[in-house]
Amino acid sequence: MTWIHPLSAEVEETADVLGGKAHGLVVLSRLELPVPPGFVISTEACRAFLRTGRLPSGLDAQLAAAVAGLEAATHRRLGGPERPLAVSVRSGGSVSMPGMMSTVLNVGLTTEATTALADETGDLRFALDSRLRFLTGFASGVVGVGPGSLAGIDRVLGGHDTDTSCLAEAIQVVEHLIEERGGGTVPEDATRQLELAVAAVFSSWNTPRAKTYRELHGIPHGLGTAVTVQMMVFGNRDQRSGTGVAFSRDPSTGEHVPFGEALFGRQGEDVVSGTSLTEPLSELSDREPAVWSRLLSALTRVEEYYRDACYVEFTFEAGELWILQVRPGRFIGRAAVRVAVDLADAGTIGRDEALLRVSPQDLTHVRTPRITTTEPHDLFTRGLGASPGVAVGQVATSAASAVRLAAGGPVVLMRPETSPLDMHGLAAAAGVVTARGGPSSHAAVVARSMGKPAVVGAVSLTVDVAEGCVRAGGRTLPEGTLIAVDGTGGEVVVGEPRVVTSGSDPQLYRLLDWADDVAGDATTDRDETERLTSAQALLRSGDACGAPG
Amino acid sequence: MTQPVSSHPTSVDLLVLHTLRCIGFSSLPGVARATGLPESDVESELIDLGVAGLVTHTAGDFGGWNLTEDGRASDAERIAAEVTAAGARVRLTAAFDRFLVLNPELLDLCTAWQTRTLGGAMTMNDHSDPSYDARVLDRFMEFHQRAEPLCAELSATLLRFQRYPVRLADALARAKAGSLEYIADSTSSYHTVWFQLHEDLLATLGIPRH
Repeated sequence: MTWIHPLSAEVEETADVLGGKAHGLVVLSRLELPVPPGFVISTEACRAFLRTGRLPSGLDAQLAAAVAGLEAATHRRLGGPERPLAVSVRSGGSVSMPGMMSTVLNVGLTTEATTALADETGDLRFALDSRLRFLTGFASGVVGVGPGSLAGIDRVLGGHDTDTSCLAEAIQVVEHLIEERGGGTVPEDATRQLELAVAAVFSSWNTPRAKTYRELHGIPHGLGTAVTVQMMVFGNRDQRSGTGVAFSRDPSTGEHVPFGEALFGRQGEDVVSGTSLTEPLSELSDREPAVWSRLLSALTRVEEYYRDACYVEFTFEAGELWILQVRPGRFIGRAAVRVAVDLADAGTIGRDEALLRVSPQDLTHVRTPRITTTEPHDLFTRGLGASPGVAVGQVATSAASAVRLAAGGPVVLMRPETSPLDMHGLAAAAGVVTARGGPSSHAAVVARSMGKPAVVGAVSLTVDVAEGCVRAGGRTLPEGTLIAVDGTGGEVVVGEPRVVTSGSDPQLYRLLDWADDVAGDATTDRDETERLTSAQALLRSGDACGAPG
Repeated sequence: MTQPVSSHPTSVDLLVLHTLRCIGFSSLPGVARATGLPESDVESELIDLGVAGLVTHTAGDFGGWNLTEDGRASDAERIAAEVTAAGARVRLTAAFDRFLVLNPELLDLCTAWQTRTLGGAMTMNDHSDPSYDARVLDRFMEFHQRAEPLCAELSATLLRFQRYPVRLADALARAKAGSLEYIADSTSSYHTVWFQLHEDLLATLGIPRH
């Protein structure tokens, strides 16, 4: 049984075997885009592991051979005393389950290898930062140390002014925690670290959270996850390193401009976890022009391949770009309509395919009010849309002032995060913005339950209750300033911007005209959803009226 | 109800003060529901606490009872002293770690209740698909079974935590009986009670919200 496949252009196995993430990496290799060398342990091995509780027989020998191959390709040794190889160990099933399973990074950084990495790079701080990242990943992913116990450690990570003694101290704290929680001493054998990490990723398929996710989304429990093992590329290497995520088009408007965020001097987990202050993607064009131009051409290549807007995760190490993940963009609402129409206009897809790509839910989303024509200088901060709709009102920095200001008109409550003590302020407010948290935070759940537009995780926002003001991007707004919040796109805008609702979307008109052509029915009193779905039904049955596109 | 003798009881005035500290601005019936005490008893305690300058009542649309700055300081001090007197810090810290594992699960479930992911994109759940809603409710029941041992551990450490499992079970029973607002919408919903438990654990252990 072949349990392990290389991440190379020649691999022919499907995403069912390789998992979606590894399959995307194979696609990237075929497109000759920069992918860190590595291999993937198949979902079949995971299924065997889940049946028996141990790694299947023969896997250890194949793993040793795969590691030897990776060592030869990189001219490094896993956990070696010179030119050490460190690897990332990531989950990735055939169906995406974002954030549900474990990942262990920087595997192979034994104490000795960490010293070797410091010698090789002449940068002890970087080596210790990487070792600490390995230990925290090992503690949470392999040993099951809870997030409460590890809180505080992430504050030590990634700060280029963090001194080495501080990192060394944090390393001891985590080592101690691992021992205390029954993890024994952290193996100084890099191969053993890798085996434990692989088993931990397999096991994470069956955490209660992952099981719940599958129940809710109708994903069969028997699929299992693949494990991707790749040479680490270090976004925390220096100030010419970093990490980020990018869309080939703006996911909130569908406009054909790259969109995303970058984080300098950090590893990828810091972006996804939303714990750190990210910069707009375009910051790369000034600071790392070579990375920027390679990223733009990579986005063009993957769009050509997928014939759709795309999403990539990337890391750059000392000015060199690496792509770590790719998938289609999965845009919704107005953005989905615009991308479909633009791609049809460009001849990338036919009009019939454009019609089939837009779902009736997208039309519902088009009817959600959105902020439009934002001048860049009006954008105060940006977070994640957590509850759709637009709210315009005066800034309030506390529940008490929200209640007070609400007597004179609508209010937007802006908080670091929300607690039950903010509930009456939320009740009084027209919309809410929080600096922390994701779309599944308490603030997001409460805002949705009250039907109020909400933006969460606006990481550049600081709320100064004592001074009664909010700050972001070098600007300060006192309480009472008029701002607008878009709970779909996550924009927070100064003043009262133009807001669009359905009926003013040129791309939607054109798409619906195409739908009428297909249906051979131009009666205008039919509603938009009916016009779309009747065309889709005809296209699916092969009974379309004309031959559009 | 029998409780292990080791579980530490809380005096009624502190119970009312601390409950208000954790649920925030609230009406008298709200405080009574959260504490499980009769409204008349709670009102009497609130008036005494008001005289002592620890709580205050505001009139108006968004009015209700709330702690004063002195009230917050007094609560923090007395709750910390209670944890020390009960020798409960280690057990509570371990329980909080378990809470933090369950918390993202509960928030996932609330998000699944409020929104649906179709074609990889999030859209609001319009509750027009009873089979989907039933699946989410089933997961809530399963989640609650795993939350119960944690609640029992907390109640066995500090008796006042015993209100949470009662209120959580009540919210779930009502939702199951068709009052769907008891999942995430009502002021006695499963999410609201869980959110207050989160606040209580932070307040009890003296952990600031950043």
